Amino acid sequence: MSRKRDRTDIILDMLMSVQDKGGLIKPTHLMYKANLAHHQMKSYLEELISKDFMKKIKKGDYDYLIITDNGLRFIQKIREMKEFEKTFGLEL
Amino acid sequence: MIDLMFSPKWFYGKDIAIDLVAIIILTFIAFYSIRCYRLNKKNKNYLSFAASFLLLALSFLFKILTNFTLYYYSVETRNLGFITVSYNALRSSDILFFIGSIMYRALMLFGLYVLYSVYQKQSSSNIFIIFYLLVISVYFSRSVYFIFHLTSLIFLVFITYSYYQNYVRSRNNFTKYLFASFAIITLSEVFAIFVKLNLVLYAVAEIVQLIGYVCLLAVFVMVLKNVKKKG
Repeated sequence: MSRKRDRTDIILDMLMSVQDKGGLIKPTHLMYKANLAHHQMKSYLEELISKDFMKKIKKGDYDYLIITDNGLRFIQKIREMKEFEKTFGLEL
Repeated sequence: MIDLMFSPKWFYGKDIAIDLVAIIILTFIAFYSIRCYRLNKKNKNYLSFAASFLLLALSFLFKILTNFTLYYYSVETRNLGFITVSYNALRSSDILFFIGSIMYRALMLFGLYVLYSVYQKQSSSNIFIIFYLLVISVYFSRSVYFIFHLTSLIFLVFITYSYYQNYVRSRNNFTKYLFASFAIITLSEVFAIFVKLNLVLYAVAEIVQLIGYVCLLAVFVMVLKNVKKKG
């Protein structure tokens, strides 16, 4: 059985879902891709936008989310941290 | 009286450079771990890991200070009949040496214990007992130097074994290299135990320790580079 995702895992999953979609995604798609409930998605998204990791844009009739340079840098940092954690056996 | 342990003459000063390399590597990795902790404050392992590496770095710093007190030169003047001769002589300052060597041993053992407890969670009663045993070990190592190296060796064997288990679980090259690095550092303690038999073993222990720490740095750099490559 895989372990429960922590906060950092969820943020990483969300950012990587946007990155996998070429940096642009609809909010509902992100919710499904990151496997989140609506209230979780709302709370995490607010945090990501306030930290300038993601931005909301309007394209035609739809709202989209895009990943910022800060978001891309953050993905890199988190992935480094996870690899360091795995190698040095620092997982909780 | 502290049991003095000298390095071979040709190795004077070189051990200081080797310990300096260990300090830089340990501090570098410790600060990275603190940075990770700031990203994920729920994981206290980062903090304990950083604390252990900083304690080890600090212990090496005290070792260097101790070596400085041993190796400092003074100009001596002697009258040999009608000739006055000036020469450089190695002098030691006993109090500084005493404080330095006790701090080096205490911080090293405490640092290794903190690192060990990252992998083997300790109950509060256990912490008290081990802390007491560490103090006893440092006390007795004043007269029997190898007690300190033996205690360090025991901790290092268990820490290395934890890294081996981590490698078995993950079957990842980096965990294998990390296990190898700590195995080399552990080996250096084996040589250090037998220094009294032959002073050259002190130089061997230091060189093996240097190889171990450089490998540790290499693993750390490889881990970060690998993520950049994948990204």
